[in-house]
Amino acid sequence: MLPPLKPIAMKERVSMVFIEKGQIDVKDGAFVVIDETGIRTHIPVGSIACIMLEPGTRVSHHAAALAARAGTLLVWVGEAGVRLYAAGQPGGARSDRLLYQAKLALDDDARLKVVRKMYEIRFGEKPPERRSVEQLRGIEGARVRKLYQLLAKQAGVEWKGRNYDYTEWDNSDTANRCLSSATACLYGICEAAVLAAGYAPAIGFIHTGKPLSFVYDIADLFKFDEIVPHAFKIAAKNYPNPEREVRLMCRDVFRQSKILRKIIPTIEEVLAAGELEVPKPAEENIAPVIPNPESIGDVGHRS
Amino acid sequence: MLVIVVENVPPRLRGRLAVWLIEIRAGVYVGDLSAKVREMIWSQVEDGLEDGNAVMVWSTNTESGFDFMTLGKNRRLPVELDGLKLVSIFPLEDPDLSPSLSGRGPG
Repeated sequence: MLPPLKPIAMKERVSMVFIEKGQIDVKDGAFVVIDETGIRTHIPVGSIACIMLEPGTRVSHHAAALAARAGTLLVWVGEAGVRLYAAGQPGGARSDRLLYQAKLALDDDARLKVVRKMYEIRFGEKPPERRSVEQLRGIEGARVRKLYQLLAKQAGVEWKGRNYDYTEWDNSDTANRCLSSATACLYGICEAAVLAAGYAPAIGFIHTGKPLSFVYDIADLFKFDEIVPHAFKIAAKNYPNPEREVRLMCRDVFRQSKILRKIIPTIEEVLAAGELEVPKPAEENIAPVIPNPESIGDVGHRS
Repeated sequence: MLVIVVENVPPRLRGRLAVWLIEIRAGVYVGDLSAKVREMIWSQVEDGLEDGNAVMVWSTNTESGFDFMTLGKNRRLPVELDGLKLVSIFPLEDPDLSPSLSGRGPG
């Protein structure tokens, strides 16, 4: 008899796979995509950080359950990789981590320290002293706009500013489309990592008010090193299918920088900058009657 | 790391593969050789394949950590999904394993 299926750690996985069309189901316990002609493709669900489902895919209940047991995030994305919706959470969201994250976000002093650490990582230097989160955000906005301009110039693409209007996707310029595709890839793996580490995607420090605020915070720490310069380079080359080139680029960059090994330690590092301790359970709290089984997955994975 | 698996090939080729690699199961050969030697061995597999089929997998610096290629007819054909190489399995009753059926085509 086989033992129950358990998730493996994020750092051991490949970053992502995009599934374009077909019925996603379970055959003999394996995660498969079956197209209309009966050709089936096995997806090694447990060794992928996130599976990006594009329009034209259908997922069976059984397949979603298998992805969850393997600790793999299913992300529903739009045609061009623009984010629509996500579910199939791999994380078990540990209460101690959630309370820690919420405590840091609610304590103004700790939150400022976390935000300062995020800027330090992004720009390679400490931000100016005695600034509020609001002021830091203003400084950051200006720097980011300049950075976009500089990187666009280096790659030789025309740049009229970041356009987030997903409703007018086809009208936006190639550089913006490449950037949106690349960030969608980055958000997918960052969300998978945030959940696997046991944190809440919605509780952000710089970003706020969105279901993925914390994911955007974390993705921003990697965005300008990892993907923006490459996305501009692809935009400059006028490929017939820039989105595909962007995905190939993301896979390459993620592999070379070993980003899946870095995301969770980086999350811990920025949160530790808040200088609060992970809360201990109150003495009157009772432990689970059935103790958690040992797992080789990350702390937030359901085991 | 280099692994070659052959099915339905003449004994001549199996003997040849055993010159460089260890046959750990029937038709499963393992070794650790350079890219140049790997290409030389693969070209010999190509020459001696006849009606059989073969697959070769070796470790390299792709995101999966390995790459593979195939020769001869088989229900399983490699497909590439935006840089990640996986395998598609064609239905049994299909006599013609035409790759054009898949729409994506084998990588």
